[in-house]
Amino acid sequence: MKSIQGEVSQYNENMQNQLAFTGNWFIDAGILGFVNLMEEVYGWDLNELQDRINTDSHKLFFWFFPIGYLFYHSTIRGIHGYIQNINKDLYKENGLNQKIRETEKEIKNLQDKIAKCNNEKEEKKLQNKLSKLEDKKLPELKEKKREALYKIEELNNKLVEERKKFRENTIKPIDYFNLGMAEIDKFLPNFSLRLPAIARNFYLFNSKEIRNSPFLAFIYLQSLCWENYEGLSEFIKEKIPKTEKAKEGLTYEIYPDSTINPFLYSPSQFPNMGYTKPLKTLEIEKSLKLSLPIFIPLLCFEHTFENYYEKGVIRNIFFYTNNLDLCYSINKKMQIRKEKAKSKHQSLLKITFNSIIDELVENKADFSLENMYLVEYEEIENQKLINVEYIGVPKLQASIFIDDVLREALNISIVHRKTKENHFELKWLPEEFIKGRPLYPLILSHAYLVLNKEIKPSYYSSLYSLIIEANILYFRAENEKPNSTIFSENYFNNYKGLVQGIKEDVRRTSYHASLIKEISKDKDKKARIARDLISALKAKDKNLFLNILLKNLNESKELASNDSFNRWLMEKIVRNDACFEIYGLILVMNLVRG
Amino acid sequence: MSENYWERVIGNAKQDLHLKDLKEAALNSFKDESDNYKQKLVYNLLETVRNNDQKEFFYILIKAINKPKGNFNELWKKLQNNYDIMPEETFVNFAYSIILGIMATYRGE
Repeated sequence: MKSIQGEVSQYNENMQNQLAFTGNWFIDAGILGFVNLMEEVYGWDLNELQDRINTDSHKLFFWFFPIGYLFYHSTIRGIHGYIQNINKDLYKENGLNQKIRETEKEIKNLQDKIAKCNNEKEEKKLQNKLSKLEDKKLPELKEKKREALYKIEELNNKLVEERKKFRENTIKPIDYFNLGMAEIDKFLPNFSLRLPAIARNFYLFNSKEIRNSPFLAFIYLQSLCWENYEGLSEFIKEKIPKTEKAKEGLTYEIYPDSTINPFLYSPSQFPNMGYTKPLKTLEIEKSLKLSLPIFIPLLCFEHTFENYYEKGVIRNIFFYTNNLDLCYSINKKMQIRKEKAKSKHQSLLKITFNSIIDELVENKADFSLENMYLVEYEEIENQKLINVEYIGVPKLQASIFIDDVLREALNISIVHRKTKENHFELKWLPEEFIKGRPLYPLILSHAYLVLNKEIKPSYYSSLYSLIIEANILYFRAENEKPNSTIFSENYFNNYKGLVQGIKEDVRRTSYHASLIKEISKDKDKKARIARDLISALKAKDKNLFLNILLKNLNESKELASNDSFNRWLMEKIVRNDACFEIYGLILVMNLVRG
Repeated sequence: MSENYWERVIGNAKQDLHLKDLKEAALNSFKDESDNYKQKLVYNLLETVRNNDQKEFFYILIKAINKPKGNFNELWKKLQNNYDIMPEETFVNFAYSIILGIMATYRGE
């Protein structure tokens, strides 16, 4: 019995050490960043990291983390930086790749010209030009490209080599609280910290003394994680006495602010906001019951975000859900998909949502989508966030999106705008839907383009989008009634009734609305009616819409007296003040299809 | 969606108007009329609704149902209860319900 108790208490202790989310997205993002960083440096996945925390969390937090963090920001980022520069030379405008393409094009043009040329003199001239390009310029450019690619390969090998060496060195048993300068130098050869965007004013990165000294940097970081403020203060006074830090003393080390992480607020920027001082690190740790030192999540924050280039804009995105394992595997899947999709020009959100859906379907966890948040920022400039967005997936949208049929129907990009001749702008419907934006205006523009014969209609998806939106509007209108409660029965039932209602409505509406085609046999007339109706919809004029519709219907007695069509019109348009235009648009789409 | 479309209180009495019933009343009233006559009537009524001319709409409608021999009792009752100056949105729904009711009786002659 005693031994079982012992095992239980050991287990409980282990569980306390376990890395787990706190429920605060900001700290949780940092925890995930920590997992990502450790994986990048040491190759440990979440399970292995958890095992190491269970066996020796002390060593992980005060040795593996600080030394690994410094290794990442000097060696790994250094090599990444070189690779990035070479890639830039290759792929930028007027870069090597473009030059090669242009030269090849030029050669082909010259060959064509020579083939058509009748004049001998002229042909000789062209032939000279061609041989210059073929024998000199093109091989030179290709050689340069080969060299660049070889260099990238070499750098990648170097990275693998350096990482291997580092792992072998750090894993050995070591007294990591009493290390001398020479010993630390061995772990971090050629040390030079590169500034990260997220913490450029942080002392570790912005001081000359510390940036180039692995010893000072390590002790500073280790003491921060240890939260040994007295020791840290003494250390600074002793080792770097003439610096500003020594005069200023410890500031954001005790009260973390935007210097360390731009997502934190800075009291100097908002002097009227704080009635008291910001929270101390110890207070934050205590209130969140953190199982790891607070500076680890604060500093690892940026490792959570996956960056992605889309239409010339860098987007940094992170998907958050309140469970570490799920969050880890979703973000990992996203990374893999991103690599795969590089050549396919897929929208980032398409990749990310597909990863999420994969994960959810695998785990059969419908609850997760509604607990999911998307955090995105474009850039950090001078410790200020540019274009930051926090998006939660509302429960209602999540319940609809989790349904296979509805999700499949929505899962397309729809053309909604013409930018110039033969150039169209697309919007991915699930993104708009999850962000809670109305779909009706998109489908209206889409229908207009179809009417002008610019594009082919995406009828099936348009129908589903419109009916989903209409049903949500009905549902909201019902809930706004004075006697309704905040949490309806539907809420606890994951809106199953609503999902069922949408499917039923799709079935009914697709049949009844398609009857409108019988209004005339003449295609041009139908197009004319559609054009008139769409103008009324644009003006949101129900009276005008019904007037045009019924005047035309009045000429087609058979359709006008069709009982089911007549009833449908009455129910969905005349009696419907919440969203008559949506059903109106479905009629227009049917007319346009001919 | 709510069945009670229009609700008004006169003194202590509350009156409801169901658009569906109104349409049914129109449907039952006009089923014996000829298609050509109804088509013309619908056209005229549509014109008045377009201009939001309530006076003209009721003038034409009442003239059409002012026939002692027809089945207009039900519609008369509905009109008697609800005839009033209405806000535009209400009038539009009211009028189109009647028009759709008339149109539903076309026999395709």
